[in-house]
Amino acid sequence: MSSAGMTVLAVASGKGGTGKTTVAAHLASASARTRSTVLVDLDVEAPDATGYFPAAHAAGDTEAVSVLVPEIVESLCTGCGLCARACRFGAILAIGGVVTIDQKVCKGCGRCVAVCPAKALKEVKMNVGETTLRFVDSLDLLEGRMAVGDIRSTVVIEAAKRRAALAGASLQIRDCPPGVSCPATHAIEGADYLILVAEPTEFSIHDLGTAVKLGRERGIPIGVVINKDGFGTADVAGFCASEGVPVIGRIAFLRERAATGAAATLWLQDPLIMDEMDRILSRALAGARTRSVL
Amino acid sequence: MITASVASGKGGAGKTSIAAALAATLGAGCLFADCDVDAANGVIALGSSIDIREPYFAGPGYRIEPPACTGCGRCHAACRFGAIEPVAGSRAFRIIQELCERCGACVAQCPTKAITTFEKQAGELFVSTGRTGTRLIHAELEPGEATSGKLVALVRKRAAALALSEATIVVDAPPGIGCPVIASVTGCDLVLVVVEASASGIRDAGRLVELILSMKRRSVAIINKTGLNASMNERARHMLAEAGIPLAGEIPFDPALRSAEESNRTWASVACGSSDAVKAALVAVIGVITTLKEKP
Repeated sequence: MSSAGMTVLAVASGKGGTGKTTVAAHLASASARTRSTVLVDLDVEAPDATGYFPAAHAAGDTEAVSVLVPEIVESLCTGCGLCARACRFGAILAIGGVVTIDQKVCKGCGRCVAVCPAKALKEVKMNVGETTLRFVDSLDLLEGRMAVGDIRSTVVIEAAKRRAALAGASLQIRDCPPGVSCPATHAIEGADYLILVAEPTEFSIHDLGTAVKLGRERGIPIGVVINKDGFGTADVAGFCASEGVPVIGRIAFLRERAATGAAATLWLQDPLIMDEMDRILSRALAGARTRSVL
Repeated sequence: MITASVASGKGGAGKTSIAAALAATLGAGCLFADCDVDAANGVIALGSSIDIREPYFAGPGYRIEPPACTGCGRCHAACRFGAIEPVAGSRAFRIIQELCERCGACVAQCPTKAITTFEKQAGELFVSTGRTGTRLIHAELEPGEATSGKLVALVRKRAAALALSEATIVVDAPPGIGCPVIASVTGCDLVLVVVEASASGIRDAGRLVELILSMKRRSVAIINKTGLNASMNERARHMLAEAGIPLAGEIPFDPALRSAEESNRTWASVACGSSDAVKAALVAVIGVITTLKEKP
């Protein structure tokens, strides 16, 4: 759930590379001109939002994210194997009375510890990533970052969400990971409105369909932003009409934009872009399922 | 049998289009394993008619049966994922399925055995034939389901079972560097790293490269969408050189490639300025695959 007084907009897409981060960074910049705003990068496997804010290279306030994983106390372990049978993630092997634990695939649920009759498992903290809070260009920028080689992206996402809720901003904009499985589900959970960014390609329309389905299942109101409008001929607007989802903004494809976008440069001086961001924000806030704080 | 996984870190870098062009160029004897199970677009790129479809079950989920729940809250205390919440206006608790990791820690704590298991179809697995004869193994995960890594492993297992000894399996990996990407790259013979020539593309590919090197996989790279920003092209080359990854080729940014999907072609067969660059890069990649087949 979003915390009291804060409206949460989640920017997501299904397909990667449609412009989620570009849209989220511009929306946050536009929003920060009139209200306290926190931009939260929840694409923890590939966090790129910070790169759009050159001032953000300054060191931020970093907190480690960890999970509790089991460690065997050899002197107490009887080798009974109950822990291995309890583990649903294949993290514990018990062969011939010898128990081995693969901490890298452990989700930290604690079930093995609870079932061990000899109390031979103790829990230790294992680092899975970090969150970093920076203050840039009048907005709070909170980045979640999973450690390379880890698989527990959802733990980092939830840690970043908890920290963002403490930011005290009136608007939270989340840059979500692509896809519709657990990382994306965790990232949109608790949002008051879902902005799905699509591009006019068949790939994007297919993936937009699954993202709409996910948003609906979670009961979150949805609006679509068509990015790279004119880049392809696939009919995103027609798809949205057939799904009954509103198109709340469009960003035209221009080669110059693609060129500056490649360098992660914000188009803050472009009135066409920033006016469109204001329109998207007002439509999203009008459609959001919540409180009247703004 | 050689498995080549196409990955990029960043989404939208061109993985699926390049993987499809690679599969089409390899022709007969190539299988396409679409491991981007929550955004499966290989079928759009290669065209397909479905030959076999089967349901995918992810393993049991849990739910709390209201009549048996006394509201003691032990399950709520045991859950470390915030997936159990009190039901408003009742003493009972419920499980938020989207947040449930299916660990079962709650079950052991329930004194009244109010938590039961259920099996729900979490997706579907398909074997298809593409429009030019490529065999595709692909899957669709139900939105909100949590076991993409497991489904990826299943897609790869199916592909390996169907592959002849001299076959090449082209794996189209999902974006990111997490669980389903590791499942897509584990045990493969070659990773084709697609680097988008952009600040974000290079950063994300850098994290992927770090992962691949730690997994000790051989790799080769293609830089995609060059020509938009010369300094980005240079940075991409530099990143790959630093990591010791050979460059198979560079593909200039060209909106005309977009017309490939619209005309049911792959990037290797669409007629435009960039398709020669695509073909040249794929020839280099196939050269590496051929070498691997000759001396594994």
